[in-house]
Amino acid sequence: MPNMEFELGLALPTPNIIKGFDLNNLGLDQPKDMGGLEARNKAARCFSDKSKRSFEQAFGNSEEEYKTKTLLLWSGQPNEEDDHKDQKKRTFSTIDENDAEEVDQVVGWPPIKTWRKKIFQQQHRVGRIGNNRVADTDSGRSIYVKVKMEGVAITRKVDIRLYHSYQTLTNSLITLFARDKKCADDDYTRYILTYLDKEGDWLIAGDIPWQSFIRSVQRLKIIQKICTFWS
Amino acid sequence: MQKKVACSFPDEVLEHVFSFIQSDKDRNAVSMVCKSWYEIERWCRRKIFIGNCYAVSPRMVIRRFPKVRSIELKGKPHFADFNLVPDGWGGYVLPWIAEMAGAYPWLEEIRLKRMVVTDECLELIAKSFKNFKVLVLFSCEGFSTDGLAAIAASCMNLRELDLRDSDVDDLGGHWLSHFPETYTSLVSLNSSCLGSDEVSLSALERLVGRCTNLRTLRLNRAVPLDKIANILGRAPQLVDFGTGTYGADLQSDVFSSLAGAFSSCKELRSLSGFWDVVPAYLPAIYPVCSRLTSLNLSYVTIQSPDLVKLLRHCPSLQRLLVLDYIEDSGLEALSSSCKDLQELRVFPSDPFGEEPNVSLTEQGLVSVCLACPKLQSVLYFCRRMSNVALVTIAQNCPNLTRFRLCIIEPRTADFLTLEPLDVGFGAIVEHCKDLRRLSLSGLLTDRVFEYIGRYAKKLEMLSVAFAGESDLGLHHVLSGCESLRKLEIRDCPFGDKALLANASKLETMRSLWMSSCAVSFGACKLLGQKMPRLNVEVIDESGPPDSRPDSCPVDKLYIYRSVAGPRFDMPPFVWTMDEDSALQVHALHVAEYNRKPDWIGVGTYEESIQGLRAKMPFVLYLAELSNTSQCSSQPLLSGDTTLTPPRPLLRLPIETLESDDKTQRSKEGKYMIKMRYSMNPTICFEIRPISTRSFPGV
Repeated sequence: MPNMEFELGLALPTPNIIKGFDLNNLGLDQPKDMGGLEARNKAARCFSDKSKRSFEQAFGNSEEEYKTKTLLLWSGQPNEEDDHKDQKKRTFSTIDENDAEEVDQVVGWPPIKTWRKKIFQQQHRVGRIGNNRVADTDSGRSIYVKVKMEGVAITRKVDIRLYHSYQTLTNSLITLFARDKKCADDDYTRYILTYLDKEGDWLIAGDIPWQSFIRSVQRLKIIQKICTFWS
Repeated sequence: MQKKVACSFPDEVLEHVFSFIQSDKDRNAVSMVCKSWYEIERWCRRKIFIGNCYAVSPRMVIRRFPKVRSIELKGKPHFADFNLVPDGWGGYVLPWIAEMAGAYPWLEEIRLKRMVVTDECLELIAKSFKNFKVLVLFSCEGFSTDGLAAIAASCMNLRELDLRDSDVDDLGGHWLSHFPETYTSLVSLNSSCLGSDEVSLSALERLVGRCTNLRTLRLNRAVPLDKIANILGRAPQLVDFGTGTYGADLQSDVFSSLAGAFSSCKELRSLSGFWDVVPAYLPAIYPVCSRLTSLNLSYVTIQSPDLVKLLRHCPSLQRLLVLDYIEDSGLEALSSSCKDLQELRVFPSDPFGEEPNVSLTEQGLVSVCLACPKLQSVLYFCRRMSNVALVTIAQNCPNLTRFRLCIIEPRTADFLTLEPLDVGFGAIVEHCKDLRRLSLSGLLTDRVFEYIGRYAKKLEMLSVAFAGESDLGLHHVLSGCESLRKLEIRDCPFGDKALLANASKLETMRSLWMSSCAVSFGACKLLGQKMPRLNVEVIDESGPPDSRPDSCPVDKLYIYRSVAGPRFDMPPFVWTMDEDSALQVHALHVAEYNRKPDWIGVGTYEESIQGLRAKMPFVLYLAELSNTSQCSSQPLLSGDTTLTPPRPLLRLPIETLESDDKTQRSKEGKYMIKMRYSMNPTICFEIRPISTRSFPGV
């Protein structure tokens, strides 16, 4: 009798709407599943035969029945053998929480839909993204460069393609970092904008034409003018 | 006395009364009043919602509801959105379309979510349903623009075509020109997910021009900015518009025609799209901003000051999707400009970066919650949180119905106290009494689940990741959350105990997903054997679970209630735990919609036939194991087990075997079985011998 194992302390499970149909008693000629299907079809027919409870049994919230049907008698207390301090040692875990870099490799985390991730990846690539639809071959999609300002913790990213001159870039950077740095207006003259070019050198921004600049810039850094050597 | 009253109403009167009852819950209640109401109701039910396509079979639905006009089906579990469900898992809609093609010739609406749809399905829809009106494919995959062309060409009454978030093989924009010139009934078109660079702009413009009832138009990225004015000019009645690319070199004439086009759209309430934004073009939408109720800026990679400038023009905003470039300061500004805000979603711009690239913290969310009393739905990605912030949110927004918080680094503690965030989330469930959906993150112990079980009585969907300490956590949720329908868990130390102790709770829910937890294979088998109305699916790409000890944890587990029994379209890495796993047979391979026969599986003939389980029309062929390219030219057996009662599978008479030269062999040879749907695709089955439990290698 299949219910023997867990009948201790439990009420009987929901009345079997396919009672009378013994799944174990099929002839060998009949594939077992046919029996199952037959039973279910019969159950479906039971619907129209005064079996008012069928729906309720299947999907209702008949509390007293459901609370008691379990496959394991468990007191609901944490197991004394479990050492909560050692929970981190789960071998099945796919992530070693001490290794922050692995977070990138955890599948499906953070929970962002795949197509959204694709768009982020496109937008964060430095350089021209393929598939130019516009006739002007120079205008591709975004070019993101990191911008770091001395004394500010956060490294930001700006899309160089949004600007058409050093002036507009500088204005935008001022607005961007104004909240972080909180300087008086005239203090801005104490800062200069430098950039990392393709050859790996840090240069002062402004010397080369804008178009060449955006093709060469890899990173931006705003540093304080401490030495009058350049001014 | 009651019976007399019921009988005194003719059926047509009752049917007329029932036609005012639209909600599924009410309809179900009506159908259970008495036998005659059940009968009347089932003949006049027009709309069906099936939250899990494997919970019931198409035949069962058709048998009970013969006159359905609108169907909604959902396939894969929610975690499929984040790549946790391997490709090929299932969710095929073809069997449904095939059955409905015959049974519901007047079907008007099909709405699918996370299902595999093929071009063949779309062609079948196009030719089977003469009055077809609505096709919504939400997060679906498997089809191309060729299938869409078939729909466009045949469905003269089509009103809505919505492909949102679907993965479509975009072969170019020519499908749009398949809408005949006489076709004018389009009301809603969402093709924003199409990825090709080609789009047939002239066909699009003509279509928009002649469909005067068009209310929703969401373009894809391929449509350039300078075409927007033209399109909007032809559809000033639009209510919901999604741009394509919203960036180009700044030209004042383009800008002014764009602004003019927007300002002539007096009904516009919702904007989206805005790929590749050039900030200088944003002010073109200012004329419509004051009336906007919904704004999706989740592709807009501009910085906070520009975002704030835009949002200040939108005082009527109810729904905002935005990237975390908005930062705390921007959210503060938002909270003072948009007092009617009901839904806020903040997405991360650099989710995989090592350091934060924006200044967005818990403060942003708190400021919105403090100032926007109508806030109901939140999705927020951030890098730090505190219990104090969560308590503040809970106390100020008791009307929250959906709260999804994702702290990007798993198991992040309260940054102020370094404690777990149990108390904070506990406050959310305690104060937000109507909370229906909750996603947890951060450092969480079993305590948070105790709170959830105690307070979250209306909670229907719970998502848990990297949380909890023991089975007690899961037990609290399963035993306490009365309204729970969907539970999805990943990377939590929940094992067998809570699951088995609450087995019957699972029959009251739609589904349970557990991956990278500690549920053993033995427990899965036990659950499958003892709970016949549950399908217990073990998903494991590393090999058959019964080649390892029963105590080994399974990789992924998906349990759902079903009256249709185990399914047969499972891929090799999915096993259903069933009443008698010795007789378990499942599909090894679903041939890829290309009708190529595939031969796999071994077994003796005798055992094969006995072990066969089928639930669809089938044709049986025979082939020699060593010569799989050849099969018997005649089918040996056919049957249709979907009929009621199912036709029993016949044992093949020996004479038939011997009469065919190619298949002359003794009964004890090894054979293969090929099964076929009455409409393709081909599904192949492995036949397992009754006596062994081991899973033969393929």
